[in-house]
Amino acid sequence: MGPVERHDAHAILVTTDDVHRLCEFLYRRTGMLFDDSKRYYIDRRLRERMVATRSTSFQEYFAHLRADAEHEIEHFINAFTVNETYFYREDHQLRCLTSALLDQAVRNKTPEDSIRIWSIPCSTGEEPYSIAIWLMENWSAVDSYNIEIIGSDIDTRALKAATEGIYGDRALMRLAEPIKGRYFNRLPDGLFQIDPGLRDSIHFTKVNLIDKAAMANYRDIDVVFCRNVLIYFDDASRRMAAENIYDCLRPGGYICLGHSETMSRISSLYRVRRFPDAVVYQKPGADDDAN
Amino acid sequence: MMPTEQSGTAAKARVLVVDDSSLVRLYYLNALKNAGFEAEQAINGIEAIEKVLAGTYDLVIVDVNMPGMDGLSFIRDIRRRSESVATIPTLIITTEAGEQDVADARSAGANYYLVKPVSERDLIRHVAALAGAPP
Repeated sequence: MGPVERHDAHAILVTTDDVHRLCEFLYRRTGMLFDDSKRYYIDRRLRERMVATRSTSFQEYFAHLRADAEHEIEHFINAFTVNETYFYREDHQLRCLTSALLDQAVRNKTPEDSIRIWSIPCSTGEEPYSIAIWLMENWSAVDSYNIEIIGSDIDTRALKAATEGIYGDRALMRLAEPIKGRYFNRLPDGLFQIDPGLRDSIHFTKVNLIDKAAMANYRDIDVVFCRNVLIYFDDASRRMAAENIYDCLRPGGYICLGHSETMSRISSLYRVRRFPDAVVYQKPGADDDAN
Repeated sequence: MMPTEQSGTAAKARVLVVDDSSLVRLYYLNALKNAGFEAEQAINGIEAIEKVLAGTYDLVIVDVNMPGMDGLSFIRDIRRRSESVATIPTLIITTEAGEQDVADARSAGANYYLVKPVSERDLIRHVAALAGAPP
């Protein structure tokens, strides 16, 4: 360890006003809302970034951030996102995908047509890879359609990890051994790397849910998995994200939220659909069956 | 690599899977490997030609609609080449189920024709019949 440097973050005074300014900046950029109850979480990440940028005061760091010097906005957002997940998380929704959602989605399609499934945020890739594995293991029509799976996140560090596709035991804890054997290569250090063919079947992109212009690049999506992110947003950002996703969906398309989230409090655009395996939300379509 | 086959067992039949979807290729590859076949892949007819010219295959499974070179063009192409390549059995797997589609596949030189979706069981049954049962 080297000597304590002059810009040791613990020595820097950060006031409540500073934190508010920072949270306001983060909110405007991402829709993520952090209040004083998350002060410890905020302080830790702020100090991390101040050390990394060798800032000697909050003012210096904030100027650096606002100028986006050395892509600081990206680093800053990356520091605030949460990327802890695992394969086959909330697999009842994956069951719902193959027991109900896709069968409905293909009613208006012919073989070779595209089925577009979007995992946003995809974090470090566990969710989009899980969707692909689940389809190959459980959906008999998997070879009949052009299945496009997109994984998007605002966090470029997470996207890089997703593309590398290297995971430890914890991420794979819900997968049976034969599935690990089929879709992962065991690395010498005990980690597992996703099969290159599987990796190539997922298209990873950087997208911000509340950026309407960026979201407009995504259209005709059949199913969106948007789990456990809206809980970090305030009401206005939640509604904005829900409306942006609505525009991305095909009429009759579905959105799956996290288990603690419900669309009815966010937006009235969607219709709730209760399937045996999961409750999901549907964009109304001209020829969908309301029941 | 051992230069000789393992004693007591035949060499695994070697199958080339040609499809432009990486998900579909992986699905077929896993089914084939589970059943004991050796399986490789190509993303279209052009890459498949390179592979059959460079290696030895007991069967090529090929999709019809692919960018670059489609499945029927691939079969027509290899049927005109030297005997060892021209005689490789080919299995078309496609979503095109019309009479004309089947007739076109036959005239191109395909040995068998399956319509998607193809279950793992059906795939293995037909591959075993065309390429020889796996060890």
